[in-house]
Amino acid sequence: MSDVDLIEAVSVLRDEVLDTVEHGDRDPPGAEVFQALLRALSVGGESVPGLDLQLHDSVTRRLAWGDSEEGVLADAEMVFDRLMIAVDRALRDPADRMVVIEAATQVAVTVARVVALAAVGRAARDRAARLREELAQRQLREVLEKQRSSIVRLELETRD
Amino acid sequence: MSQSSAPAPAAGGLRVAGDTNVGKVRTTNEDAMIVDPVRGLYVVFDGMGGANAGDIASQTARDALKDFVVQRRASMEPRALLEGAIQHACLTVFNAAQESRERHGMGTTVVGCLVVDAKRAIVGHVGDSRCYLLRAGRLQALTRDHTIVEELVDRGLLSAEEAERHPYKNVLSRNLGAKPETRVDVLDLELKPGDRLLLCSDGLYGYASAEAIQYLLGSGDAPEHVARDLIDLALRGGGGDNVSTIVIETPSAAPTSTQVVRTHGAVAWWQKRQRFLQVAKERGITRNPICRGLSADEALDLVALSLCQAIFHDLEKSTGVNVWTFAQNLAGPWFERGGEWAAVRNLVDILGMSARTVVDEIRAADNNLGFLLDIAVSRALVVAELALGGLLAERLRQVDADLIHVHAAIGETIDTPPPEVTFQDQPTVPFLRPDRPVTNSGLTEELVTAITKTLTIARARTSPRAELVKQILTALETIAVDASGNFASAVTAARDLYGVRSVDDAGVMPLYDALDSVRIITASSVHQISASDALRAKVLSAISSAHQRLVNAVTGLVLEAVAPFSERLREVQGVTGELRDQVARAERKRAELEKKFATTIDQSQPWDKRGTTEW
Repeated sequence: MSDVDLIEAVSVLRDEVLDTVEHGDRDPPGAEVFQALLRALSVGGESVPGLDLQLHDSVTRRLAWGDSEEGVLADAEMVFDRLMIAVDRALRDPADRMVVIEAATQVAVTVARVVALAAVGRAARDRAARLREELAQRQLREVLEKQRSSIVRLELETRD
Repeated sequence: MSQSSAPAPAAGGLRVAGDTNVGKVRTTNEDAMIVDPVRGLYVVFDGMGGANAGDIASQTARDALKDFVVQRRASMEPRALLEGAIQHACLTVFNAAQESRERHGMGTTVVGCLVVDAKRAIVGHVGDSRCYLLRAGRLQALTRDHTIVEELVDRGLLSAEEAERHPYKNVLSRNLGAKPETRVDVLDLELKPGDRLLLCSDGLYGYASAEAIQYLLGSGDAPEHVARDLIDLALRGGGGDNVSTIVIETPSAAPTSTQVVRTHGAVAWWQKRQRFLQVAKERGITRNPICRGLSADEALDLVALSLCQAIFHDLEKSTGVNVWTFAQNLAGPWFERGGEWAAVRNLVDILGMSARTVVDEIRAADNNLGFLLDIAVSRALVVAELALGGLLAERLRQVDADLIHVHAAIGETIDTPPPEVTFQDQPTVPFLRPDRPVTNSGLTEELVTAITKTLTIARARTSPRAELVKQILTALETIAVDASGNFASAVTAARDLYGVRSVDDAGVMPLYDALDSVRIITASSVHQISASDALRAKVLSAISSAHQRLVNAVTGLVLEAVAPFSERLREVQGVTGELRDQVARAERKRAELEKKFATTIDQSQPWDKRGTTEW
């Protein structure tokens, strides 16, 4: 099967893999993973180092809109598992199956890498925010100390 | 399975021999060679490509290159001839690759030497097969591997350290067959008497150190023995790939003393073996703790006679491999059982002194032979000491690692701050639960065997320095053949991999780089096993599923490691909020007190001054 035919054959599996019937008009979970798979197939498995920037963008956008990192990973896993089953059934030529499996694994690693990058970035931001909070706490404690001493002084004054 | 070309008396008095072996892991030999003394043409090819296309590529290139040289030899200058022949081979392999889908993507490396006469040779290469020159005992590589990483280093885009860790360091940037033509590196070499050229595939230098190659190449043995010994060396180093060697030797000026020792010394030594055993017994070898449990005869046979044989074989072949192996076999298991160093020292001293006694007796009969044999035996004993030194260094490293481990454990107990990364028995990330069910690919015995083979090949193709990649490959094997149908094996493997990494890019990203490398290596290794395409697809599916689970488990651990940062931030934010409330309350109280104080002061003033107090 030529590359174009193979992409066509995998595209047909979209509804089955993403369970689009269940989700109606909404973009089903894992749609970005399936799109990335088709892109990976279209570049013919060239081993060029680097990320699929479109996939990076899609995953980052999902996280920015409030989807959890675990949710993104779980969707990618669901797409991968369903794809394995669908491909095994739909593609007769083992060579074609292997091409799709290779591409799917590549996409799975990329999704995980993007999620990990986002999580590590979040950890760095949280760490910086914690430092700022601790600095603010120090200043607040100093203020509180001053307030307490002036309260004590005022209480003594007013008692007399 | 080994195929060797007969030693060939080549033009100009050159001696040439080649040998090739399928290795210990592969089922087919994808290497090919040309050893043509008549035309002075010597070439090694290392084929690659799935569906058994690697051997087709190398054989196609071999035939095309040889035909070109045969037809154009008379009409072309040698340098242009070799370069043209390699280009012709490239085009032929490319055309063959286009003919069928199974052959698509096949290719081969090449390293060739065209010997013009006893003083000149042309060396050309594409890919990572190499040519070495041994001159005056010094080994140097004449070729530079054509890998993507090497070229990035050449252009100054990567440092040598980055290149070592780069996931694509084994990916070739050039080969024969990927394109209709390729860039060939050609070198015009002036030969000198006694030079030795070695052409080899990566199955040799990937499994043998440069020092060992230099040692064997400089042994003074005939080329056919050296070619075979080099193959043996690679097989002892694991033999994970096909290995091919061609040794070309220019005539040397005069026989060396090494040859004298080899001819007479080995025989003289062997004839004295009973005397050696007797002296060793007299010196108390049978009482050594290492020989405990053995009868006197067994001790002499297993220890003293083994060393005697090793020295004999090393003298015969002018190598030190046998003595090295003897020393390792003697001391390695002893150390592993926790044996004392003093026992090994005592044993080696006894054997050394016994050997010197025998050599002295030989010297008394033939002074010259005794003198040369003394040097040779001394060298053997130094080799043994070096082997023991290596074992001791390894033991020291192990002790160091244990000490660091213990020290870290004590430090953790003493220091109050908890470690940044702790894995929890009850994971916070839902899909990290070990009991979470996962789809199973329906393992059969045949599939399990094929998975194991594929991952063994993948490990063999991995650089010895890529520890993390090898660790991941081992983890994949465990996960892929796990029939439990849950996530437990992936989580356990991921925890081992994750270890004590720091939660930042530098700590985490190397894991993903290594996982990506493993993906590429396994995808190509699956084509190396001898199986039907359908089974290969199943193997790839099972390994890919395992890979996906492992990647997700690793990422789950990253999320779990990151979670405390958010929790701590929330805790700290809570404390800050509480402090702000306290400050607000205190401020209100202070304001009330000030107001009260002002009123008190005001009321203490004389009637006419009340209401004028300023604050």
